[in-house]
Amino acid sequence: MIFIVIFCLSVVGESGRIAVQFLKKGSNPKIYEGAAQPSLKSCRLMLSDVVGKLNVWSGSVQHGLEGLMYLLTESCKLTISEEDFQDSVLVLGFSEELTELLLQLYLENRKEIRQILSKPAPSLPHYHSLEWRLDVQLSSRPLRHQLKPTVTLKLHLEDGARRSAHVLQTDPATLQHLIDELERALAELKSSHCRRILRNIK
Amino acid sequence: MISRFRFCGDLDCPDWVLAEMSTLARMSSVKMKLLCVQVIKDLLDEGIDYDKVSKLTSDAKFESGDIKASIAVLSFILSSAAKHDVDSDSLSSELQQLGLPKEHTTGLCKSYEDKHSALQEKLREISLRLGRLEAVNWRVDYTLSSSELKQVNEPTVQLKLQAQDPETDSTQTTVVSITADKFRVLLTELKQAQTMMNALQ
Repeated sequence: MIFIVIFCLSVVGESGRIAVQFLKKGSNPKIYEGAAQPSLKSCRLMLSDVVGKLNVWSGSVQHGLEGLMYLLTESCKLTISEEDFQDSVLVLGFSEELTELLLQLYLENRKEIRQILSKPAPSLPHYHSLEWRLDVQLSSRPLRHQLKPTVTLKLHLEDGARRSAHVLQTDPATLQHLIDELERALAELKSSHCRRILRNIK
Repeated sequence: MISRFRFCGDLDCPDWVLAEMSTLARMSSVKMKLLCVQVIKDLLDEGIDYDKVSKLTSDAKFESGDIKASIAVLSFILSSAAKHDVDSDSLSSELQQLGLPKEHTTGLCKSYEDKHSALQEKLREISLRLGRLEAVNWRVDYTLSSSELKQVNEPTVQLKLQAQDPETDSTQTTVVSITADKFRVLLTELKQAQTMMNALQ
């Protein structure tokens, strides 16, 4: 919401200051608290409110917002220090107060924006949870007096918002083999080749 | 110090559980027992009263992270102990070894003992089951006549089975119609299975 505050300042200059005061004091604090990610609808409402009050062409408000978003995401992407941020913004020729506001906005939201940026859309479904059950088959229609143990697994996977579940069944010997293979895969992490690569990344 | 704990299934106690013992000790033992009651309600799907929880933890000045941590660690201890069928005395000694003060341990174990069987029943209920049968409906029809044969005079059973789809957990309905002979076979086989099940119980 502060986006709109700052945009007003930059576009309209002094007269925008009045709008700033109104938006900071008069507007409902719930909009700041309740919405950690302000819903698109409340954004649009505030936008049309601002546009109406300042007689600004809504297109330029849109562009202003996009410009601000680009500024913030690029700064967060490169984790620019305070001084670098201030220097870069000064080039744009804004007033002192506005630069200060922008800097505050950057510092306050930096961590959150970085968190959002660190989650690219997952291409593969990843593990969510695993349910299992151990059964023993005692008899069936064709054959009585059996003793056949089976392990039933329900693998829950998550792909963004989509959850899927896969039901698998195996006998204990195959399960043991599966466990051995997975442990072997984990052990690879401890091999010297892997360690060398990890050291270089860190 | 023994590093293998029965309530953890004879494995090491997870580090985070050990770390949260000090968080729990910050509460008074009375308040912690009341918190246990709330956590057990949550485990039994009876609904947890978060207002009560925040009142209970306000004395110890818990922040939201502390509240979440204490609920998580109590959930883990109680459900894991029920899972591995640990008796209340063993649980008590193991928790004290982890550093939970005696009064807190006594309170927790009393709550555990009271609700021990209810917890195990709940855990049994939520154990993995595939394609749960939810409802059976039947109807007996008598076919008088058809386009193929003028006098049919045959009874049939219509069975409607509502079961849970194993992978999507949504309800699937299957309708089958069975002739008298086939139905007799089905009934006999099912009765044999039933006898076997009764023998096991």
